[in-house]
Amino acid sequence: MNIETREINDIVIFELDGEVDLETSPTLRKSLLAHVNVGKSVVVGMSGVAYIDSSGIASLVEAYQTSRRNNSGFILAAISDSAMRVLQLARLDKVFTIQATIDEAVSSLSS
Amino acid sequence: MHMETKLNESIAFSIDRQVSLLANMTAQFANTLNVDETLRNALCEITDYMNAEGGAVFLMDEATQIITCVACYGATEITGLKLEYGQGIVGKSVASNQGALVRDVKNDPDFYGAVDDQTGFTTKSILCAPLSVKDRCVGAIELVNKKKADELFDETDLKVLETLASSAALAVINARMARALVEQERVKRELELAAEIQRRFLPDAHEAGDTIFGINKPARGVSGDFFDYFKLPDGRIYFGLGDVSGKGVNAALLMSKTASLFRCLGKTVRDPGKLLGRINAELCETATHGMFVTMVAGIYDPRPGCEGLIRLANAGHEPVLLFQNNTFKTYGADGPPLGIVPPLPGEDGAYDEVQVFPQGGSLYIYTDGLTEGYTLTGHPLEAEGVQQILRQHAHESLTTQLDRLVEAVSPDPRALRDDVTVLALTDALRPVNESETKVGQNETDHSAEKDGDWLIDFKFPARPGWMKLARACVRESCQKVGCDETDTTDIVLAVDEACQNVIRHAYGGPSDEEIELTVRQRPGRLVFRLRDFAPMLPPGFIKPRDLEDIRPGGLGTHLIQEVMDDVQYLRPTQGEGNLLRLVKNIDVNKKGTSKQ
Repeated sequence: MNIETREINDIVIFELDGEVDLETSPTLRKSLLAHVNVGKSVVVGMSGVAYIDSSGIASLVEAYQTSRRNNSGFILAAISDSAMRVLQLARLDKVFTIQATIDEAVSSLSS
Repeated sequence: MHMETKLNESIAFSIDRQVSLLANMTAQFANTLNVDETLRNALCEITDYMNAEGGAVFLMDEATQIITCVACYGATEITGLKLEYGQGIVGKSVASNQGALVRDVKNDPDFYGAVDDQTGFTTKSILCAPLSVKDRCVGAIELVNKKKADELFDETDLKVLETLASSAALAVINARMARALVEQERVKRELELAAEIQRRFLPDAHEAGDTIFGINKPARGVSGDFFDYFKLPDGRIYFGLGDVSGKGVNAALLMSKTASLFRCLGKTVRDPGKLLGRINAELCETATHGMFVTMVAGIYDPRPGCEGLIRLANAGHEPVLLFQNNTFKTYGADGPPLGIVPPLPGEDGAYDEVQVFPQGGSLYIYTDGLTEGYTLTGHPLEAEGVQQILRQHAHESLTTQLDRLVEAVSPDPRALRDDVTVLALTDALRPVNESETKVGQNETDHSAEKDGDWLIDFKFPARPGWMKLARACVRESCQKVGCDETDTTDIVLAVDEACQNVIRHAYGGPSDEEIELTVRQRPGRLVFRLRDFAPMLPPGFIKPRDLEDIRPGGLGTHLIQEVMDDVQYLRPTQGEGNLLRLVKNIDVNKKGTSKQ
């Protein structure tokens, strides 16, 4: 798994790449929480996610819940088919805010 | 004038006797290697010839410089008397390599009076000549007191004794050299035997087919290097290569121990990192005076679906070389050499492992005897030289490649600088398209109602780092039976989640204990069995959470049940542990999922 982050207008954009599994998800969790804990809005671009398991999904859920408590935004964007399949199986596709592209996610948070 | 004539006559007479005695003694010495007895006989003859009351032969141990009386004749018995180098008249004579004539011992400060005090003998006059040939002195002959009470030794006596002594010395030195030669021969024969036994430690050339091959060329008879490989019952190949610090017999003995530990422990310890940890603990336990072993151990998995995975652990050894797609990659040491750092109490001290997917490439492990060995140019081969040779002969057999490497550093085979050992393993012979043939067979085989067709047996440590490979194995077996992409992805996820449950709940976190995954194909379904070796979990311990309760964690079990058509927690038929049986119905013909 590879994580790239950048910041536009106080919104932190994550781009995930590769496999998010039991071995790599702790890195993702730490990195997400570091930003949502200080109240930043976060967009997670997931087009490059070839695989994600329940531990990866759990990291997203935890970050999502923290951002809700902080009243900041948390959007999943450009979700790959395989990642979407797991979100559907977990019935979380209706829980997360999801946008088709990172740009759309950023502008929805900026407005 | 008168005096002089008499002296000349007496000299002429004594020279005559002396020559015949000398000839006689020399003949005796020449015919025997039993020097002690010959010396005793010679001493008698010399003592009588010189009209002395007594005589003694002293020999010096050239290693310790202790001078011991080995034979006595006449006056007193002092056999076994030991003198320091330079002690007494004899010791001084040996040390200075010069004869000594003491006409009256009472006035000589060098006289060692202790013997007289013990024996009650009264030494009046002493004659002593070193047993020496040129500068090498091996002892001395000492004569005491002329037989006639009023007579004393003179310079002529000393000359005679010196002549006789040098003849005896030659015999002693010859005998010692002969003994040393015999000893050398014996040691050489024993070393040859040891080297022969060592060679038998090495595996047979094609014990594991053409996949793996090694060469060990000792600089001396015995070697401080070794390599070994053997097939595990499940088809994987265990291999190892080691280099003991230092050379010679002590290195060879430690090598033998390490090689034995590798083969013995390797049969049960199926993790190279753990194995090196165990060998390290054993070597540390029996300290070996600062000697250590650098070693690489690994397991190659040529079984279908395992992608030729190589698990490597490196204890302070030269980097391992992988030649793949015309490029080289190296895997350096992750830990210290074996035998230096004992494991912390209560820990297994396992070495780190790296996973290598060779993708048809070849792996080379060698000792520094190869990289530091001199080539024809007079320069060491170095790692670059090794790579150059391997590149040149990339398309030849492993045997040829290794021959070329060893030839490069042994332009003169007798002048090897250090033991040279190389082990090579190739992934090029692993069948790649096995899945196609398997599916093809299934289509024609209609007697499929028997036990499920074997797809995968895979055992791996309960660690997150292993999940990637476990997923690859499951994906492979799904594709092999013709599952579509969605089913494959779902199944991979479900089995991954099940493994994670084992790691979290059965083992209580990452563990070196193993998870055993088997996949069987039955008509219309895939059966996955996941076994752990942890204490039994109470039934219902793992259950899916209510999905309305959105929180991190607890999703895995839900995902398993969502994907699989049947989930059962069972007890293994043998031994401790838990068994999870997952069944997924598949319909290969429709190429669709059976459950939506």
